[in-house]
Amino acid sequence: MEQVIANGLYLGAQYALIALGLTLIFALMNVLNFAHGQMYVLGGFVTYVIYGQLGLPFVVALIASAITLAAVGALIEIYLFRPVIRKSHREESTMLLAAAIAFFLDAVILLLFGEKQRGVPKILDGVLNWDFRIIMPYDRIAIGVLAILIIAAFILYMQYSKTGRAMRALAQDRVAAQLMGVQVDRYSMIGFAIGAMLAGVVGGLLVTITGVNSGIGGPISIKAFMMVMIGGAGVVSGAIAGGFILGMAESVGLTVFSGYGDVTYLIIFASLMVFLAIRPQGLMGKPWG
Amino acid sequence: MGIEHNSNGGSKAKPAGSSLAATSLKIVGALLFAAFVLIVVPMLINGAERWDLYYTLTSVALLSIASAGVWLTFYIGRINIGQAAYALIGGYVSAILVVDYGVSFWWTLPLAGLTCAAISIFVGLPILRLRGVYFAMVTLVFTEVAKMAALALPITHGASGIANIPLPGALEIFGLTLIPDFNTLENSRYAFYILSVTLMLLCYFMMYRLVNSRMGRLCYSLQQNEELASSIGVNITYLRLVAYAISSFLGGIGGAIFAAISQSVYPSSFAVADSINFMLNCFLGGLGYVLGPMLGTFVLYFGWDWLFQTGKYQLLIFSSVLIALMLILPNGLLSIRLWGKKS
Amino acid sequence: MSDILSIENLTRRFGGLYAVNDVSFTVKENEILSVIGPNGAGKSTLFKLISSFLKPTSGRVMLQGEKISGLAPHIVARKGVVRTFQETTIFRNMTVRENVIIAHHLQSEASLFGYFAGSANARRDVQKFGQSADEILTLLNLESVAYEMASNLPHGSLRALGIAIGLATNARVLLLDEPFAGMNHEETMRTVNMVQGVRDRGVTVLLVEHDMAAVMKISDRIVVLNFGEKIAEGTATEIQNDERVIEAYLGIEDESIGL
Repeated sequence: MEQVIANGLYLGAQYALIALGLTLIFALMNVLNFAHGQMYVLGGFVTYVIYGQLGLPFVVALIASAITLAAVGALIEIYLFRPVIRKSHREESTMLLAAAIAFFLDAVILLLFGEKQRGVPKILDGVLNWDFRIIMPYDRIAIGVLAILIIAAFILYMQYSKTGRAMRALAQDRVAAQLMGVQVDRYSMIGFAIGAMLAGVVGGLLVTITGVNSGIGGPISIKAFMMVMIGGAGVVSGAIAGGFILGMAESVGLTVFSGYGDVTYLIIFASLMVFLAIRPQGLMGKPWG
Repeated sequence: MGIEHNSNGGSKAKPAGSSLAATSLKIVGALLFAAFVLIVVPMLINGAERWDLYYTLTSVALLSIASAGVWLTFYIGRINIGQAAYALIGGYVSAILVVDYGVSFWWTLPLAGLTCAAISIFVGLPILRLRGVYFAMVTLVFTEVAKMAALALPITHGASGIANIPLPGALEIFGLTLIPDFNTLENSRYAFYILSVTLMLLCYFMMYRLVNSRMGRLCYSLQQNEELASSIGVNITYLRLVAYAISSFLGGIGGAIFAAISQSVYPSSFAVADSINFMLNCFLGGLGYVLGPMLGTFVLYFGWDWLFQTGKYQLLIFSSVLIALMLILPNGLLSIRLWGKKS
Repeated sequence: MSDILSIENLTRRFGGLYAVNDVSFTVKENEILSVIGPNGAGKSTLFKLISSFLKPTSGRVMLQGEKISGLAPHIVARKGVVRTFQETTIFRNMTVRENVIIAHHLQSEASLFGYFAGSANARRDVQKFGQSADEILTLLNLESVAYEMASNLPHGSLRALGIAIGLATNARVLLLDEPFAGMNHEETMRTVNMVQGVRDRGVTVLLVEHDMAAVMKISDRIVVLNFGEKIAEGTATEIQNDERVIEAYLGIEDESIGL
């Protein structure tokens, strides 16, 4: 039991971080970033190269992942989303653009890093064993704690920094924020960069545990969508709740249904549909439509 | 903006007057197109001995049937990125019935469609209330879940899938052979081509009728304004479900024939990328135009196929072209037409 | 005149806020009744409750003795209570005539499949709706823009289109949401005539409106809401002399009211 909860918390922290990035981009620009999973993979590969291959310290590699993805995110916002949003009449356009970007990143990742599963050396050795109730390697604990710290930092940043406040205003009401003098373009760009950066950081964190391969981008995006739907799109608290709920559900499901093959996600999806039938806006989302 | 509501409003041609001529023109056009794809294209292929084109064109026909379904959900105002799930389900239903239960392929074909329609009602009931990005997200997740279910459930034979599906047998009614046994044919590719293209023609004919009937107008009214539709008495829940069920039926049919042609179906036969491609087909061809998804599928599939010669750069070039297309024409290929008309 | 609609102790709460609080009144057959009140008084919520787009927290709406609150909106519409919307709510990418034709939905005799297959009923429906639409367009002076895209219409015609859609549904009770908003005097007066024309066809009209001059001119009776509660009910003269009404409106500075 304790083991299941501990696994759930560890997974949930990673998931929440992924969902935060996705929801931030959605809240600011009403764009569903299909390429989120690919950004995660890219972040994983940057850490793989710097920490695993060049042998530099893990922290350096993680920062490099963050910076690379922030830059990629900013460029994508400025040169791709911004012009398309300006010219298009329907929300499908940005969705298709996002899908095309996902394909593009997939192709780039495949060309640069190949199809193989890549792993890096453990960042910490040893295993915590608490009375055989919780058995967890130290590196997982470290990664879990790091993820929670980053979530906390993100919340504080959004709450108290000038940029964070501007982005919140923008998310709440684009037009009103514009009238109040918030530079929409600038903060959309920053928001997209931060969202992409979060995806990259999780990629960098998790490469030390599960490794990375070029094919997992899509499935990661799908999980992120589920979390956002559980919690409510565009809401920070919702993304965190959704992340932890999915992490916990996965952890419980893998234990309970281990005898029945991999039906966990089938059951999670069925529950999600029942849940959406009752509460279409998700846990924390605002009612709409 | 210049609103000349009174000056030329009356002079705008009433659609009634010239409609007879327009209708007969359309019928002639449709018949010519049918004759072209059913007779001329096979002659050209046989003449050039490019038998591989049968497979390519059959794929285009089947994918455009599934895309037509996606288009219909667009028409009621929903972005559907879940069609691959129904294609996969359709493929499995047909394959399981044929291989494990010895049912004739010709019976499994409608059953595959109907199973998908039935499932879509259960799935659609909760999720069709969602709009925009939300509906898109759920349907995309559904695609992935269908794949996971195929991997996990015993009836689908897990990751190894179902291979060695026999070719369709003969279809006989009262001792009359309507369709010969595909095994006895010297070129089953040709038979599949004729089957798929015929179904495609039928599908688009029905779709055209649907859209141009009052039922189509009602569907369109949902896209325009669901609240108003509901307040003039339209049962929007029912209409949405009907449209979604038709869409899923088409996905199932397409998937079932695909499984029959490739004589196999795997959990990865239809995946997220396919769902996205179905959506791209519709968008590329134009969302306001019934034949749009057919055109879109043709262009996209042949474009992808043609890029095969670039080897490992295929996906890179393909996605770059898509991105460029979105930058230049963020409102779809059809916007060229509209733009041309205005000037 | 007998009562057609009765609103009984209708209450709707959003969180801790009472948008509509214990409101009761009746609507007589074939009258024009206006609901007025300052911004945020709960008028729109009341309309949504009556047309069943929202479910009441408590209380009920009765249509000639039959409870309609809690039913699906399209069923309430089928029973004859139809809500039209503010101007933005039309089928924008259809022509004016198509808008009106589609609104005949409740008179359909053919099924969905019938329309698809082109059954005899369907053909008859289509012809009937076309004729009726042309009549309504003539009545509301919209025939000149019949084949114009609805999104291209000017302000005043849009409002007329909204009313035309309402008429096409063959409603017994028509709920009009701010039919005069944003109109100049001349347009308002034309629309007032239109609404009276609708009533002359035997329709009961319930309207929510800010334009006091128009409301006073057109209404048989008026119900006044403030902070979700009914504070007055009566004829135009009675309302204009009601102290609570004057008080409610004086609290609002920027609203020009013709009292």
